[in-house]
Amino acid sequence: MNVLIGILEEGLIYSLLALGVLITYRVLDFPDLTVDSSFPLGAAVSAILTVNGMNPVLTLLVAMVAGGLAGLVTGIIHVKFKVRDLLSGIIVMTGLYSINLRIAGRANLPFFNMNTLMNNPFVKSFPAALQPWSKVIVVLVIVLIVKVLLDLFMNTKAGFLLRAVGDNKTVVTTLACDEGFVKIEGLVLANALVALAGAVMAQKNRVFDISMGTGSMVFGLAAVIIGTNIFKNRQKVNSSTAAIIGSIIYKACVALALSLGLVPQDLKLITAVLFLGILILGNGLKKKVKFHA
Amino acid sequence: MKKITAMIIALVLALSLCCTAGAKTLTIGIAQFAEHPSLDNCRTGFIDGLAEAGYVEGDNVEYILQNAQADMGLTQQIAQQMAQECDLICAIATPMAQAAVNACLDNGKPVIYTAVSDPVAAMLADAEGKSALNTTGTCDLLPVEAQLKMIRAFLPEAKTIGILYTTSETNSESQLKLYKDLAPAYGFEIVEAGVSMGADVPLAMDNILPKVDCISNLTDNTVVSYLAVMIDKANTAGKPIFGSEIEQVKNGCLAAEGVEYISLGRQTGLMAAEVLNGAFAGEIAFWSSEGGDMTYNSEVASALGIAIPAEYADGIDVTK
Repeated sequence: MNVLIGILEEGLIYSLLALGVLITYRVLDFPDLTVDSSFPLGAAVSAILTVNGMNPVLTLLVAMVAGGLAGLVTGIIHVKFKVRDLLSGIIVMTGLYSINLRIAGRANLPFFNMNTLMNNPFVKSFPAALQPWSKVIVVLVIVLIVKVLLDLFMNTKAGFLLRAVGDNKTVVTTLACDEGFVKIEGLVLANALVALAGAVMAQKNRVFDISMGTGSMVFGLAAVIIGTNIFKNRQKVNSSTAAIIGSIIYKACVALALSLGLVPQDLKLITAVLFLGILILGNGLKKKVKFHA
Repeated sequence: MKKITAMIIALVLALSLCCTAGAKTLTIGIAQFAEHPSLDNCRTGFIDGLAEAGYVEGDNVEYILQNAQADMGLTQQIAQQMAQECDLICAIATPMAQAAVNACLDNGKPVIYTAVSDPVAAMLADAEGKSALNTTGTCDLLPVEAQLKMIRAFLPEAKTIGILYTTSETNSESQLKLYKDLAPAYGFEIVEAGVSMGADVPLAMDNILPKVDCISNLTDNTVVSYLAVMIDKANTAGKPIFGSEIEQVKNGCLAAEGVEYISLGRQTGLMAAEVLNGAFAGEIAFWSSEGGDMTYNSEVASALGIAIPAEYADGIDVTK
């Protein structure tokens, strides 16, 4: 049970990042490497503001704004200066590394003795039976809010345009809309979500570390692909749900690999094998469904 | 849907199977942040220290070993699982220590850390070295003063010392600060070069070598991983590199007044035993190593044409 709690905590927090990657990679078809730095950016902003006494919930909003700005810069570099998508992400990712260090003031900023998002009088007032689950509950509430808002947004006109940019650019142009603007909008939204994930992560771990963003992009991609692959032919499960579940499955695989108690060196290999297994299983499901149809 | 449900159930079952640990014996988790000779030595020393105090593997304790391979996400997950499964966690290196302390914040299980250079900056201890949390450990802060004194003895004419460090390592920041504070007293000026990843080390060396008389290493994991490149470039320039521990001297640094990690780990093990015997870890002040034995490499010295100073002649020559 305790391991399950750990998986849900980690998986749900990272699912916010996966939702961001879902927008750029899946919807916009834009491989956005800004993610590796906007994740710690959110953490840095949230950590330094918490240390200076701001309400942890407010720090999340400021972190989202900061992440949005990072996305804005990537978007402007790509659209206005016509730099290739991957490269504009790399430029911002590289620059943000220094900015993150500046924001936090140091490479590692702990705040063990402060009230945090998951450790405050309000959370402590939950009934005793719910206490072990308190972090999961807090994160779940945030993820659900984000997911519902995102789903609603995707069904507005702006949301349709966002999807159209990734699928069929001609549609956007014939509707007399600026394709570049829509792209920037998507990047802002995505990086705001990624920064939110970083901020929530910093709140849970009660520490900001400059290297916490390494591998975020890879993680986000894996979660989105695992999720969407499993639910490929299920109309009832939309892509945001799939990304969230993908993220939880990813963390469950790592937890399983850890629990197997093998030589630590083999951990990543086991994790990789588990991923592959899940992807193949997902493919198997897809074929069966097609056959029945 | 059935298949998916089955898959999820299988995963959960597999997990719960793995997690049912045996009773009676104590389970001790050793969570290591990265693969690294010094950190490995800490682990060996820790197990030895506990055994010395009567906690013997297979007898009354069992160990769970995990290594996060410097992956921050994994660090958190390892800490969380150990917080559930273990009676005591030994966390090796700062990020692991912070993660373990955070994971044990709610259930109050003891965390004994080691190889943390600055427990106060890492918020693992207060100014008196103790903590309100159930944690204590050992600190591997470099004996910088002894190192500077040694460099002065080796190079009486030298004016500048170059130091490479990774901007993402807090430990390096505090060590660098110590160097800068103490250097003027020995007539040195510190020239620093920050890198953000290991691959930057060769470029940083090229940049810094013409400006300095020698290089002195911190216990910076990233930089030390590129030691071979550094030594290569320094030898070409005819300038010595001073190490921060014995392993580096074996690999071609001229000399070092460093931390000896096996005894650091052993001390950590002894402290862990004290906690297992019933002490509250936060009440025990963290322990700082006072520096190990001075080591030098006579082959490197003769290649560079530098004589071993008389007062250091009784140091350990790693080539013998």
